[in-house]
Amino acid sequence: MAKTETLKATLPARAWLPPLDSGMLTMAALIGFMGFYVLYPLVLILINSFNTATIAEPPVYGLKAWREAFSEPGIWRSLWNSVRIGIVLQVIALPLGIFLSWLISRTNVLFADAFEFGFWISFFLPPLATTFGWMLMLDPSTGLINSWLRQLTGSSALNFDIYSFAGIIWVHLVSHGISTKVMLLTPAFRRMDASMEEASRMSGAGPLTTLIRITVPAMTPVIIVVFLLSVIRIFSSFEIELLLGVPWSFYVYSTKIVDLARQEPPLVNQAAALGSVILLFLAAFIPLQRRLIARRQFTTVTGQFKPKIIDLGPWRYPATALVALVIFLLDVVPVLSVLGGSFMTRFGFFNLPKTWTLDYWKMALNDPRILQGLHNTLIVAVSAALFGVLFFSLVGYVLVRTKLPGRGILDSICWLPSAIPGVLAGLGLLWMFLGTPFFRPFYGTIVLLVIASVLGGITLSTQILKANFVQLGKELEEASRMSGAGFWKTYFKVVLPLMAQTMVMVGVLKFMFASHHTSSIILLATSETRTLSLLALDQVAAGYREVASITVIFIMALTVGVAIISRSFGLKVGIRAE
Amino acid sequence: MSFLRIRNLYKAFERVVAVNRIDLEIKQGEFFTFLGSSGCGKTTTLRMIGGLEKPEGGEIYLGDRCLVSAEQKIFVKPEKRDMGMVFQSYALWPHMTVFENVAYPLKLRSASRSEIRAKVEEVLGLVGLSGLEDRPAPALSGGQQQRVALARALVFSPKVLLLDEPLSNLDAQLREEMRRELKSLQRRVNVTVIFVTHDQIEALSLSDRIAIMKFGVLEQVATPEEVYYKPSTPFVRDFLGKTFLLPGKVAGISDQQVQVEVHGVGASALTLDRQNVISSGNGFPKIGQSAMIAIRPEKIFLSDRTDAGHSNVVEGKLQATQFLGDRYEYTVTLGTETRVIVSPEARQLKRGGKVFLELKPEGMTLWPRES
Repeated sequence: MAKTETLKATLPARAWLPPLDSGMLTMAALIGFMGFYVLYPLVLILINSFNTATIAEPPVYGLKAWREAFSEPGIWRSLWNSVRIGIVLQVIALPLGIFLSWLISRTNVLFADAFEFGFWISFFLPPLATTFGWMLMLDPSTGLINSWLRQLTGSSALNFDIYSFAGIIWVHLVSHGISTKVMLLTPAFRRMDASMEEASRMSGAGPLTTLIRITVPAMTPVIIVVFLLSVIRIFSSFEIELLLGVPWSFYVYSTKIVDLARQEPPLVNQAAALGSVILLFLAAFIPLQRRLIARRQFTTVTGQFKPKIIDLGPWRYPATALVALVIFLLDVVPVLSVLGGSFMTRFGFFNLPKTWTLDYWKMALNDPRILQGLHNTLIVAVSAALFGVLFFSLVGYVLVRTKLPGRGILDSICWLPSAIPGVLAGLGLLWMFLGTPFFRPFYGTIVLLVIASVLGGITLSTQILKANFVQLGKELEEASRMSGAGFWKTYFKVVLPLMAQTMVMVGVLKFMFASHHTSSIILLATSETRTLSLLALDQVAAGYREVASITVIFIMALTVGVAIISRSFGLKVGIRAE
Repeated sequence: MSFLRIRNLYKAFERVVAVNRIDLEIKQGEFFTFLGSSGCGKTTTLRMIGGLEKPEGGEIYLGDRCLVSAEQKIFVKPEKRDMGMVFQSYALWPHMTVFENVAYPLKLRSASRSEIRAKVEEVLGLVGLSGLEDRPAPALSGGQQQRVALARALVFSPKVLLLDEPLSNLDAQLREEMRRELKSLQRRVNVTVIFVTHDQIEALSLSDRIAIMKFGVLEQVATPEEVYYKPSTPFVRDFLGKTFLLPGKVAGISDQQVQVEVHGVGASALTLDRQNVISSGNGFPKIGQSAMIAIRPEKIFLSDRTDAGHSNVVEGKLQATQFLGDRYEYTVTLGTETRVIVSPEARQLKRGGKVFLELKPEGMTLWPRES
């Protein structure tokens, strides 16, 4: 009797991915591959920070790179600048993000759904596009807003120079600083049990007291998660600082690494030393982040009653106007200015004899570099989407559905890339491809860019896929197993078709991110393999604003355009706070 | 004098009417219950009293004070109504301890520290939670959370206590225990309680008066005994407990009594008191009219033979007998309906055999035949 009991107890664990050895083999292969893919480049960075020879030369170990890197004040300053931007940005963006998501999810502000869509659009607008759009507005001499202000006041006293610390903060805010938080917090606010707020009202508190003393504290776990997600990306931000900081020699962590690696001769070892500092910081930070995320949430029992919306009374219209203004700054201004930039003879000059022109478009459409860039972008983005979906769905499935040992390790590896600054991942891959003879032939080809781009969205992809595998009833697969299909047959015939929609969604996400990310590929691309985003960065740096706006329009079409089209086909691309 | 007055209250969500022009008066210190199945508008009514929903029409007065009037465009916010509320989900704030949860309403009323401490301790003692002040709210069991929610709603001595299905998340045993405590608590605190439930046992056992709601309308407002034994509408009759319905025809009417001929149950005519006739307003009953007798199973006396001298005896068929320790349950078919009749005594009855059922006159009500 007792024997059969133990037999039964062990059965479910073993029954899932038998035979055991083939399951173990799959797991070992996954961990091996992912480890090599994610960890090996990072290890190379660490090792090579102690190497004094350049890439592709026999290594000579020593502390020279570290000594040199940190005797140069510029490196310290760049680290401090990253931290400084991060702090100021979060201090402004977090309260603002909380307040805005509360407004659109819990109050009777008008057009809440449209506003949410606006934040969603902003989330998909590449930082490159937002930055460029605002550059056209706030350039100290040619910026449209600055010209207007000069005309209005007759002096340049109110000029706002976007090439400044404040300018960088401003563009961060209107780029992803606010919209990410609103996107993550709004669903969480919606799920919160409304009776907690009502209980506060019944206790005698007004709406504002309730927001400050009940709603926000009760949401603290989610807010902490959102905050950590932002903090861990302090060192990742790249394009904004590249476009707005480098012109006045203001460097942050990521732009400094690129600067070091691109000097002649390249100071890759110093870049590696700088990279290692952050790796050590992340090594301490990621476990903390994961613990906090795992321990998240007070339990909030939801009542049957549908969430009741707070009546703002006379504040309803001012609040609506406020959210509308934010959306205007986040979406409308950058998009319009980029569009305007591409059709105007000289952007911002409305009184030229010929204000509007199609010349730049004609030029751009005949420009082999733009066509080449589009071609490269499509190759990179499509491959990233396809490989990413196929591979990470397998990873997600194994993580959720099997009881194989080593899942914890695999899961941790999947979390890592979200925290690794793109520049650092690119640097590691650069080393891997130049330093390993087997890979060297690939250097300079677009394969590198594909590999770097697939790596880019691992965390998000696996998290979305995992969440959906959890929701998918296990019985459907079990029925297939009972009908005689094996693990792989079940995976291809039952799981994949059922997950088709999620797969497409993850693919679309990967496509969009791959088509606008620059930080992870900037060190890997050549003039033949550069994508549209890299081309745009070069064009802006060279001062070809009008042509750059056309490139940026292409990028926006590939990101926001694809996002809107897929959404209209019913793919709700949402990101969960947990 | 009535304490809380509701006049012509109306509320619709989109195009669904949730509360359809109800009028109601609730007395001070009363335990008043809204009873009905889900979607009947009971919770919406409660939330309108509390100020969590705005009515589209009608008025609510607390004493002389107008809380809401759609016509005069008056709306007192929930925080200014001085009412305590216990939510179905308890809605304890997870970031606060038990003490902080209960102290919150007092802090908002800027009470002094010592006053807060004293009051919170007093009310926690009242609900039997002394000593748990420093626990975080989510660390409590369901029953304890419920008590904290109750303490929080009572701590500032509100004029009215609103309870929105507070017992429905508890398991059966705990629910029974809390029910008793709730009643004794209300007696001690002497606060006016407005209670919403879909559970008839809770409603019958706790309430001074019950309002039975259906589709946003009050079907009947009366004491528990009245709604149970003298339901005023067929809905109330069928909603509460079980009934046997015997179709028949009015055979005779006197000053005190009505005779009804019933078909196919082995009796000539049944007699019931005139006051148990549910008037339908249009001259009912008249001789010859179709009618329906309703009776609760517990008002039926079961016997194996007809004793002379007993009137109102009908014949039924025994389907099954079950012994449940403290009682017997006899499943009996009477006419076309089969119900369970409970009796504490064992009777010598044959399964499948004839049984005689004596219908107590005070338990019978006469209804016009429903089409």
